Amino acid sequence: EEEKEEGLIEFYDSFKDMFEFFCKNTTIHGTIRLVCSGSNRMKTAFWTLLLLASFGMLYWQFGLMFSQYWAYPVVLTMSMHSEAKMFPAITICNLDPYRFDLVSGDLVQLDRMAEESIAFLYGINVSASILHLNDKNIHLKDLSNIGNLSRSSFKLSRNFSLLRMPDHNNRSGKKHFSVGFKLCNATGGNCFYKTYSSGMNAILEWYRFHYMNIMSQLPVIINISDHEEQIEDMVYSCQYDGEPCRPSDYVHFHHPVFGSCYTFNSKGTDPFWTATKPGIPYGLSLILRAEQKDHIPLLSTVAGVKVMIHNHNQTPFLEHEGFDIRPGIATTIGIQQDEVNRLGGNYGKCTTNGDDVNVKLLYNNSYTLQACLHSCFQHIMVRKCGCGYYYYPLPPGAEYCNYNKQPAWGHCFYQLYSRLRNHHLNCFDQCPKPCRESLYKVSAGTAKWPSSKSQDWVRQALRHQNGYNSTSNRKDIAKVTIFYQQLNYQSVDESPLLSENLLLSSMGSQWSLWFGSSVLSVVEMLELLIDTLVLSLLFCYQRFRSKKTLKVTHTPTIPS
Amino acid sequence: RYSSMKDYLSELDKETKKALETFYGFSEGKSKVRRSVEEWNSTGSDLFKQIPLLKFEDFSKTATDLRSGQKRRVEGSVFHKDSSIVNSGDSNDIIGFQLCDANNSSECALYTFSSGVNAIQEWYKLHYMNIMAQIPLETKEKLSYSADDLLLTCFFDGLSCDKRHFTRFHHPLHGNCYTFNSGENGTVLSTSTAGSEYGLQVVLFIDEADYNPFLVTSTGAKIIVHDQNEYPFIEDIGTEIETAAVTSIGMHFTRSRKLSKPYSDCTETGADIPVENLYNKSYSLQICLHSCFQKAMVDSCGCAQYAQPLPAGAEYCNYKKNPNWMYCYYRLHEKFVKEQLGCQQICKDACSFKEWALTTSIAQWPSAVSEDWMLRVLSWDKGQKINKKLNKTDLANLMVFYKDLNERFISENPANTLVILLSNFGGQLGLWMSCSVVCVIEIVEVFFIDSLSIVMRRQWQKAKRWWNHRQQERLGKPPQ
Repeated sequence: EEEKEEGLIEFYDSFKDMFEFFCKNTTIHGTIRLVCSGSNRMKTAFWTLLLLASFGMLYWQFGLMFSQYWAYPVVLTMSMHSEAKMFPAITICNLDPYRFDLVSGDLVQLDRMAEESIAFLYGINVSASILHLNDKNIHLKDLSNIGNLSRSSFKLSRNFSLLRMPDHNNRSGKKHFSVGFKLCNATGGNCFYKTYSSGMNAILEWYRFHYMNIMSQLPVIINISDHEEQIEDMVYSCQYDGEPCRPSDYVHFHHPVFGSCYTFNSKGTDPFWTATKPGIPYGLSLILRAEQKDHIPLLSTVAGVKVMIHNHNQTPFLEHEGFDIRPGIATTIGIQQDEVNRLGGNYGKCTTNGDDVNVKLLYNNSYTLQACLHSCFQHIMVRKCGCGYYYYPLPPGAEYCNYNKQPAWGHCFYQLYSRLRNHHLNCFDQCPKPCRESLYKVSAGTAKWPSSKSQDWVRQALRHQNGYNSTSNRKDIAKVTIFYQQLNYQSVDESPLLSENLLLSSMGSQWSLWFGSSVLSVVEMLELLIDTLVLSLLFCYQRFRSKKTLKVTHTPTIPS
Repeated sequence: RYSSMKDYLSELDKETKKALETFYGFSEGKSKVRRSVEEWNSTGSDLFKQIPLLKFEDFSKTATDLRSGQKRRVEGSVFHKDSSIVNSGDSNDIIGFQLCDANNSSECALYTFSSGVNAIQEWYKLHYMNIMAQIPLETKEKLSYSADDLLLTCFFDGLSCDKRHFTRFHHPLHGNCYTFNSGENGTVLSTSTAGSEYGLQVVLFIDEADYNPFLVTSTGAKIIVHDQNEYPFIEDIGTEIETAAVTSIGMHFTRSRKLSKPYSDCTETGADIPVENLYNKSYSLQICLHSCFQKAMVDSCGCAQYAQPLPAGAEYCNYKKNPNWMYCYYRLHEKFVKEQLGCQQICKDACSFKEWALTTSIAQWPSAVSEDWMLRVLSWDKGQKINKKLNKTDLANLMVFYKDLNERFISENPANTLVILLSNFGGQLGLWMSCSVVCVIEIVEVFFIDSLSIVMRRQWQKAKRWWNHRQQERLGKPPQ
């Protein structure tokens, strides 16, 4: 039987045979010494040790290499590009929110209530300053029938009045009061006070809270373009690259806090807005009206214009990155573009267009981290509190919070908000950074404008052309120039520090350093392994067979 | 707080006013002024006699003394604090002051300034430091503004905050400064999102009427954004904010890290630098330079400069105890600027540092319509301490926030690690010689160990043979 097997596959007789063959014929350096110096025991031991040591070294190096590779390190390469490109989108807001006709009655009531609270808290009568202004209301013609409905149903709640309470944490003997208002859940339990050490902050926050409730009755889609407010009322002069802007160049929207806003060059496709040269004369130059005629004086206390420079197709978050412009001042804003490209994948979490993000974006513009965070918060808000936060857009089917319908939403909102702050809502995990980002670095200089000498004719000219009708000496116009400081932009690109190629090549180098061999030698070693396995199986089989035959021959003898 | 400091500063102020009168107000009628000055002299102390302001014609080295009004020749070298020395003709009157070595009065240094404003401010500062050095720290802290005075409102990350979040430290020239979120009580606040709503918003009360007219000529506040472990060098890198306006400061955070030795000459903790860190904060180049200068000052002048912290066992300079210190200080400072003190060589860069890039924009605040109610509410908040109604030029609104939460981290990595070096070595060896460590050892074995052992064996055998031969000879001899 054994002869038959050997005839089929020629194989080694013993392990020693096999090993000797391997050592003599392999391409791995040093193994031949194990056999050649077989007569010298000391040398054999030495070479065995040496082989094992270099084997160990090799795998130690491999381990280092792989741990480095699996950390996915990246290198940032900075490069300067200098190609013609589009001017960024510019959004300007006049910090002057409208009083919509639909809610003006309620706003007057709210102002009166605020006045009462201030009088109650501080004993100051401020009615004159607040109430003399509601002469200009924005009337929405086509929506008046809906307005009548909601007007009848809405009632200003007096449950959330401002209170003054002693500050318990204060250790000093002086009497200290903090001002705040109480928020309870739907059943009236679990109340907490939202308090502020300064009355100013408390009043502003309290006013904002009520304002959100009032505004929530407005229909979601407001067609602002058909009312009388025109861009000419805010932007007296607009020039880009020495040419006047065209009326089609801007998009108008209304922000609940920052008032009416205009975005220039929002799409970034019009060749008119190509930036051809750097420098002030080739930038965007605007003369703006920054009138301090606040329609809602308790909402924002700042006067001026907000400017934001951002990417095309990106929702401007003015509260985050807006740049303030002072009335009576000419501001020159130099911008410089930085671009960041992230690798994504294993090298870091990022998203190319937001499609792979769990959060459904509520802004129908391109993906940004802020937009994602806001959307995420709004989704949670709708799920937990049953209504949407007024300053963020609504998901389909939801409606804005209103304490007539959801009396406990304030309680729910402020608690949710503090959980967002403490990173308990996993919005930050769900929203990755965009893989491609453009940042605009801004530096500004200011000068007084118009100068006292030129003031008269500037005002005269504006009066003739734009119907500017301010007779007072108050500063209410501002000039802004936005320009590229240089057209070449820095782009920062991530690239992998260790690619597969590089990893293989350094693996090969290590292998050849320690053993002087290649992939084929690895195959040789594999072959040795397989041979050993087969041989040991064979031996086992033989032994098993011989045992069995022994057993077969022995068993009948035992009982007898 | 100028009003509470009046007692200490009254004489200095009088003197300054006199000087202004002499030089600018009554430049024609000198005799009249002289008389009035002399009158004052009889009553005044002699503190300021030593270092008066001088006015002298360019290059003629004749100076008009403030007190005597006499022209006299001035010995010694002339130091110009500015580089442009003469603009010929029209401005030949130059204001300055003279510092002399007390022990050797012939050695004098004359400091001149092209503008009288600079001269007077510098001169005032010099005397101010002398006076302040005599007042103990506790008194000074009491004399300066408290957190209650300064902060009207405070709002951080959507929540209210108050003076407990602020830590006080006393700055020699700027008085009491307050650090928000200094981490002193163990907790460091963090901000959740970018944007102005989530940053720090404070309204500061700046008492414009209570300013020292000579020491500072601008009103407002100074802020500096720094790490919890970093010392705020407010005079060096502070950002100034304006009153009656809201200043929004957007920040971008950058962290950088250099590799220390052997890659570059920087220090991780500053422990390896032979300059004692006088500030109780982590090491920076600025700290090292200031400490080094202070040490040199104590060594050579015997007292410490007022604007920097005290080393152990030293005390601040004032001219009652150390009449000579000002001359010494200016001499030393000049040496320091010219890099002759060796401070610049000793001090090394810190290996890691954090940086906040700030973008500042200003809007008018309060707006005309909201001004009325807001000032009233704030005045009420301020409480009964001040009875007057707040003016809007007494207020500054400040917002500090992150523009985005992206952090830029710049770090150096060694381009060649051991792994890369070895694999490069192996790659080259394999490419050109098809050789490995094993074959290198083989070569060593064959050429050194084996041949050596052969030689050794031969020698051993030779020696053995020779020994045997000798033994045999010795053994063979007796039988012979």
